[in-house]
Amino acid sequence: MRILVVEDDKKVARALREGLQAEHYDVRVASTGEEGFFLVNHEVFDLVLLDLMLPRRDGVEVLTTLRKRGLQTPVLILTAKDTVDDRVQGLDLGADDYLVKPFAFPELVARIRALLRRGRMDQVLKLQLDDLEMDLLTRRVTRRGLTLDLTAKEFELLEYLLRHQGRVASREMLARDVWQVAARATPLDNVIDVSIARLRRKIDDPFEKKLLHTLRGVGFMLGGKHE
Amino acid sequence: MRLAPRSVRTRLTLWYAGVLTFIICAFSTGIFLFVRARLSHDLDLQLSRELATVERIYREEPRELTHLDPHWGITLFHVAEHETVLYRTDGWERGGLARALPGNRGPALWSWTSSEGRRYRVQTASGPSYEIAVAIDETSLRRTLRTLAVIMIMGIPCAVGLALAGGYVLAGRVLSPIGTMADKARKITAESLGERLPVENPEDEFGRLATVFNDTLSRLNDSFARLRRFTADASHELRTPLTAMRSVGEVALQRSLDRAAYRDVIGSMLEEVDRLTRLVESLLTLTRAESGRTQLTRKVVDLGGLASTVADSLRVLAEEKAQSLSVDAAAHVEATCDPAVLRQGLINLLDNAIKYTPDKGAIRVRVAKTALGEPAIEVKDTGPGIPAVHRERIFDRFYRVDTGRARDAGGLGLGLAITRWAVEAHGGRIELESEEGKGSLFRIVLPGSLG
Repeated sequence: MRILVVEDDKKVARALREGLQAEHYDVRVASTGEEGFFLVNHEVFDLVLLDLMLPRRDGVEVLTTLRKRGLQTPVLILTAKDTVDDRVQGLDLGADDYLVKPFAFPELVARIRALLRRGRMDQVLKLQLDDLEMDLLTRRVTRRGLTLDLTAKEFELLEYLLRHQGRVASREMLARDVWQVAARATPLDNVIDVSIARLRRKIDDPFEKKLLHTLRGVGFMLGGKHE
Repeated sequence: MRLAPRSVRTRLTLWYAGVLTFIICAFSTGIFLFVRARLSHDLDLQLSRELATVERIYREEPRELTHLDPHWGITLFHVAEHETVLYRTDGWERGGLARALPGNRGPALWSWTSSEGRRYRVQTASGPSYEIAVAIDETSLRRTLRTLAVIMIMGIPCAVGLALAGGYVLAGRVLSPIGTMADKARKITAESLGERLPVENPEDEFGRLATVFNDTLSRLNDSFARLRRFTADASHELRTPLTAMRSVGEVALQRSLDRAAYRDVIGSMLEEVDRLTRLVESLLTLTRAESGRTQLTRKVVDLGGLASTVADSLRVLAEEKAQSLSVDAAAHVEATCDPAVLRQGLINLLDNAIKYTPDKGAIRVRVAKTALGEPAIEVKDTGPGIPAVHRERIFDRFYRVDTGRARDAGGLGLGLAITRWAVEAHGGRIELESEEGKGSLFRIVLPGSLG
């Protein structure tokens, strides 16, 4: 999978390249709009990460050119502007998604995966990790065959974590996707922490192998390698 | 084109002088006309008295006519009998008054101007066989009137001149407080907003002006003070996480640590980044709100449903503290509002209530209409209450009743400021009732639906 990153800030660009390479993506970085413009015209990418405020050639211009050429490459906008107007403009111009800076890296990866997967959504009825099983039809959760009694919110939370198993889910992702609160300026973080603690009590405490991990300062992860 | 003098003082003076000139002119003209009419009338009266005297003497003692001039002072008359002059005074002859008499019977009383330019008033009386004419020289009367006119014409400009000068001085004196106020006001800057204009008499116009200006200064001073406090608070709040990140990073670099310790350091720094992100996010929300750039997507919302949703999402926090959290919603309390914004405000209120209420306390959310029919949401807790001194400023950004404790609880100090914005953006208001030691009640009151 080839990803083009159009980002002028060197530090951010480097972090994105290294982070995405660690996720096994093939990454090209363009540090000006001009370069990004040239690259999308001459090479094929599976996805473009586009900063809207760029020197010389605006990100908007890169985006419009891309769409004029009829290319359906998914475009994810990274922007420091987060007024509704800016978002609407970006999406109107043909962007597929946007992320407001500063964003959490796990969230970026989740969005990229969602965009690349788009169109071939897998209809799963059962989610599983190790001996933890979730049946989405009967809404039953079992671990080692024992039924766990979860509240509706805990079920949703666990479903989200299972769908993202082996990957980090940040508090922002949980707030938006599980609690449906878009604004980040809310005291929902406490609610998330408490809910995670309760979920852990039910799915992990009675068992020896721990599945739900907290990554300090980053978020939570179900399964996966954790040090 | 109209010429408008720039200073109020000049304008006032000119108006004053103009009005005064008009009044003096009208008055003088009136006096002149009155005096002239009066004097003419007196002259005519004297003339007819003299005519009567001459006529009586002629009838009774015609010989006595010669004595009239020296003894009675009747100097100009003429008596004729059957077209023949019986007697005429020397003055009559000298003045050539014979020419004043018309050949035929003319008017009995008229004015006549001699060839030398003297004006006479002439009156005649005639019988079947005689004709008597008496005249009085008008010169002295005319001289009097001329003198009067001269006095007036000379006097009016003098009076107007004096009025101008007096008016200018007077206007200057009356307006001088304004000049003083302007000078004083010019010296007041952002740094000296504590200064006030002197108010000599709060009852008069200038006193009122100064009072109004002083009130404005007070309000300005308050908002400057609030701004300074905010800047100081904001820089403190922004620097704290930065300092933490910096020192954690620097200390970590001084020693070599194992992997787990490095992860811990980075995690700790990321926590501060998160805190900083939320802070910037909240500040931007408020700044955008204050510059009026937030657009509300309004729709009719059932407040009971909204309150239940918010309470349910925060219920876990209350449960952790063994608090009872109840929602008591009357049916059909609706408001036209942006549910996302209002929800954010309510979440902050409820989160505060849970945070400050001790374990096993009770928090009650009530949705009902006020006595005036406005939709309202109340959040009542059994916390420590808010002392009266803090109540006014509790909604200010970064304001904390108890600095240390609130920070430990993880608050940014912006929650209530955001709640106030969320409510006021809808044209609503937020009320606070609190009793120390017993608890607080926050009430969001929204405007009734306007159809």
